[in-house]
Amino acid sequence: MPILDFSALLHGQFRDWLVSGFLFSLQLTGLTLVLALPLATLVALLRMAPSRPARALGFLYVEGVRSVPLIVHMLFWYFGAPELLPDRTRQWLYSGNVEAIAAVVALTLYSAAYMAEDIRSGLRAVPRTQFEAARALGFSFLGSMRRVILPQALRITVPPLISQTLNLWKDTSIATVIGVAELMYQAQRVETASFRGFDTFALVTAAYLSVSVLITALSVGFQHFFPARAAS
Amino acid sequence: MHPTRRTVHTFFAVTALAATLLGASLAHADQLDDIKKKGTLVVGVLGTDEPNSFIDPKTREIIGYEVDLARSIATKLGVKLEIKQLAVAARIPELQQGHVDLLAASLTHNKEREAVIDFSLTTFVTGQKVLVRSDSGIQDLKALSGKKVITIKGGTQEPNIRKAVPNVDVVTFDTGPQAFQALQQGKGVAFVNDEVSLIDQYAKLGGAQSQYKILAQNISIEPLALGIKKGEPQFKAQVDEVLRGLEKSGDADKLFLKWYGPATPLKFPSRSFKIDSDKVES
Repeated sequence: MPILDFSALLHGQFRDWLVSGFLFSLQLTGLTLVLALPLATLVALLRMAPSRPARALGFLYVEGVRSVPLIVHMLFWYFGAPELLPDRTRQWLYSGNVEAIAAVVALTLYSAAYMAEDIRSGLRAVPRTQFEAARALGFSFLGSMRRVILPQALRITVPPLISQTLNLWKDTSIATVIGVAELMYQAQRVETASFRGFDTFALVTAAYLSVSVLITALSVGFQHFFPARAAS
Repeated sequence: MHPTRRTVHTFFAVTALAATLLGASLAHADQLDDIKKKGTLVVGVLGTDEPNSFIDPKTREIIGYEVDLARSIATKLGVKLEIKQLAVAARIPELQQGHVDLLAASLTHNKEREAVIDFSLTTFVTGQKVLVRSDSGIQDLKALSGKKVITIKGGTQEPNIRKAVPNVDVVTFDTGPQAFQALQQGKGVAFVNDEVSLIDQYAKLGGAQSQYKILAQNISIEPLALGIKKGEPQFKAQVDEVLRGLEKSGDADKLFLKWYGPATPLKFPSRSFKIDSDKVES
């Protein structure tokens, strides 16, 4: 039975590393969420658009992204994609934090694909008669979506979206393979330097769990205070 | 009197506990005996660090200086050699958990690690150096301050470069080749690794060699040794005996020349160390 001794990890250098990793993971999650939600809404609308090419584009995006593991997305956007840029853009990119940028791009595109499907399910849950009535009143496709369908779909969509946010929070750990200094990366650094694998990963588990529980509580709270109801 | 159900249950519980404890104490037999009984010596190697251990492009087998050392030990013990490829960061945990019997994975022997594992006699001595892009204009270590340096996760490279250059920005990757690719793409100005690994990668660059240079300063001296689980004195004694035998018969020197000598891309003219000691400075 390994002897748990957290004192070494909760002070000084190791604590600083773990805390900075935790904060960076939170920042990655927040930034990705802000970028992915609009993209997901766009893709969901594309998939429901009247025009066939638009629907095909949405379909290809979602299926293409969902069929590839996130780690492959990360490696592609870090090692592969930047090499295709013109020289000056590439050098400007590399002088900045290209690791974090690649991670955010990969996470945004990945999460948006899943979120788009959730949003689309929410939109489809609103009875079609609502859409037909809106069109009959003279709204365009986008107008009916914006003023009639989306507001009603919101309540149905939010719980699955919060669940995707939970996945996103856990997926930030994959960014460690492209050198992003988030929680998992810092945890491995601490483990190598302190030789305390069990303690380090116990702390990291607690860190991920704490935020996951908060996200889940948010979902439960939302469903309690804003239950989905039929159109009246 | 007929025993009650509770008495019978207690009896079985105590018997089971005693058997477990007895079994446990018997199970902590010597690792050397375990290996001989198993008939295999499981050795952890990197497989990505030429010429210590790397994949032969023709046969797809893992070969190298340390693989040959491990093979000699297995042969002397009279058992089969089984090679397990490990990531740099996983070496010590895998040894501690008993997934491998021995580490032949470019493992640096330092005092910090002595607290958790044991080491054989030092099998190789190298330094750690920095490879920089020629167009970065960096001539010495001080110029790396504030710049982005790339290296491998879980080794001695990151602590060493941070000690040598306090304000350096370090990004680490899982394997040497991946980290080197990031350097080649321009994602950092310098790459830190063991001198022999750097020379090997530099030699492989071919035409692109003029774009890089290895800074002359050593950021540390790295005595490499085989890793042994703590508390196995007989196994360590056996391993050290095999290594001393190789040194005395001249086979150790021949092995060095085979992998590092003038006929190889590294072109070391001769060996600057002997396999005779397991004491380190720091």
